[in-house]
Amino acid sequence: MRRLLVLCGLLVLILAPSVPAVAQVPVSVLITDPSQYKGTVTVQGELVGDYGYRSDGTVWTQLNDDSYAREPLLEGGERTGGNVGIGVRIPADLVAGLDPPGGYRKRGPLVQLTGEWEYHDPDRGGESYLDVAELVLLEPGREFGEGISYPAVIIGAAFIGAAGVLWLRRPRSG
Amino acid sequence: MLIKPVAEDFRVIAHSMGRIFVVVGLAGLVPLGWAAAGREWHPFSSFLLMIGIFLFLGVLGLRQPGSDRLDWSHGMVVVALTWLLVPIIGALPFVLSGHWGGEIDALFDAVSGLTTTGLALVQDLDHLAPSLNFWRHLLHFLGGQGIIIAALIVFAGGGALTLYLGEARDERILPSVTSTARFIWSVSMVHLVLGVTTLGLVAWRVLGFDLPRAFFHGLMIFFAGFDTGGFAPQSTSVGYYHSAIFEATAGVLMVAGAMSFGLHYALWTGRRRAVLENLETRTILSTFGLTMTMTLIGLAVTGLYTHVIGLTRQGFFQVLSAHTGTGFATVSATELSTWGGLAFGGLCIAMALGGMASSTAGGVKALRIGITVRAIVNQIREVLLPEGAVVGTGFNQAGRRRLTPQLAQAAMTISLLYVALFLVGAGIGMAYGIPLDQALFESVSAGANVGLSVGVTQPTMPVLLKLVYIAEMTLGRLEFVAAFAFLGFLYAAVRGK
Repeated sequence: MRRLLVLCGLLVLILAPSVPAVAQVPVSVLITDPSQYKGTVTVQGELVGDYGYRSDGTVWTQLNDDSYAREPLLEGGERTGGNVGIGVRIPADLVAGLDPPGGYRKRGPLVQLTGEWEYHDPDRGGESYLDVAELVLLEPGREFGEGISYPAVIIGAAFIGAAGVLWLRRPRSG
Repeated sequence: MLIKPVAEDFRVIAHSMGRIFVVVGLAGLVPLGWAAAGREWHPFSSFLLMIGIFLFLGVLGLRQPGSDRLDWSHGMVVVALTWLLVPIIGALPFVLSGHWGGEIDALFDAVSGLTTTGLALVQDLDHLAPSLNFWRHLLHFLGGQGIIIAALIVFAGGGALTLYLGEARDERILPSVTSTARFIWSVSMVHLVLGVTTLGLVAWRVLGFDLPRAFFHGLMIFFAGFDTGGFAPQSTSVGYYHSAIFEATAGVLMVAGAMSFGLHYALWTGRRRAVLENLETRTILSTFGLTMTMTLIGLAVTGLYTHVIGLTRQGFFQVLSAHTGTGFATVSATELSTWGGLAFGGLCIAMALGGMASSTAGGVKALRIGITVRAIVNQIREVLLPEGAVVGTGFNQAGRRRLTPQLAQAAMTISLLYVALFLVGAGIGMAYGIPLDQALFESVSAGANVGLSVGVTQPTMPVLLKLVYIAEMTLGRLEFVAAFAFLGFLYAAVRGK
């Protein structure tokens, strides 16, 4: 009986309609070899910059998949070079309720996006972007602080003060 | 025999430097105010330090005797020192922000900003404070319009002409240098208002950004576009906006920035015919057409784009960006590095040729190309025509001018110096194992103050290469003369009698 159940289970697995696997791709790979990923892909990263609400009911923004997406520099992240990002077009209803995109003192929402990788889309004048169909929020955005540099303020003020004194006591002709 | 400079020479130079430092220090009040308004206290403190140093050095200089005795060599030294010292102090906010890998990286971006190049070593740009982003772009504006021109407006004083010419400005549009400087800044202010308004409205109404952010982007892209700089507020450059209308608006500003202020004056005074007959206009239209055709054919051959509209839009914008010396991109550096063959050649030549003389663009400049071509054509005609036949030697450039052998020689000499600069930079890049095409592309981009990159310029590149590109950007911006005069001055100070 047990053998029969295992056999049936295997048959179900073999005969079941195959579901196409969605490739999860790091954005750096997508940028390096963009033409290899035609079709549906999944990417993860931080939404940064702006939410641009277009009249067609979509929102354009940028998804960064770099070390700063997890830990921005000002939050103590390591310097690892420039940002690595792609443009993404998301239906506006998927963006509703998301935290603001990342920027200064803001780590944007960390999301997983699944959609069509439009490489040199002829309908959009050759632009490359991800046309998102599914959005999963992995981590909400967060804010962080950056303190003042008192030594810089003190030294700067001292220089300005010294400049003022020198200007007032400048030699005058006549 | 070289004459050793005396204390009087140094005092005259110090006085002029003082004027310039004060002007840049006062310009620093704008990002300081921006930081205060946005409660960005760390950038605020670094701007305060920078302003303090500029003002202190400025006042120290101004305490020296006046500049009525400023001669040609003094002027050249002042110009060279300005472009050497202003970026060093101006890089302080970058160093303190933690977004740059060290002092050299920060200096690289300050030089790149001031020379309106646009190559960048900033890290995590997408989380950078808006006030620091503003300072990056304001450096484009200061460098593009000419710090020295600004100083000429703020402070009256002797030696205006030598300072003006030293900063690679070839023509006086109005009778006096000060009135010319005022005209240049008036043109810039009109473009500032129109450009920021248009870009801001497009970003707000078409792209759907919220209003303050829309005008923030408008201001940044105006500075970088009109001053043919190339920095952008986001890491994906102009590709960030995904909008043909926004690209077209930026493109108009890029063209306006690459036009000589002499042509702006002709347009302002309604002399459209003069614009069309101008040697530079004709030259730049020809070279733009040529490099555009090369690039589009090259792109078609590579098969990177499957549709003619995509190919044309992307090719057109990249060539426009290269030829005007702007450096905006709508494709990534990685993708640009795959534009081989004719497309690569078209972009490289467009970058090397650059915009018009007395504009904010870099490169060899259309005037020199036009003069060189005209001189070569004249020589050929002289050979082919019967002996004694008269060959016309005139050309239109702010009126009818005569093409003298001296003028042709000067144009060719500077053009050759640019070629040498590009090749030296490429050679050093190749010595570090960078492939020839990429090393050449990046070197031309630095030397012609463009800013397009195929990925060579990054924080991990060798320090020597960073320094070479810094030197290329500065020499390219100053068109060699002021830098050579400064070296001569240093030599005279050591070995002169």
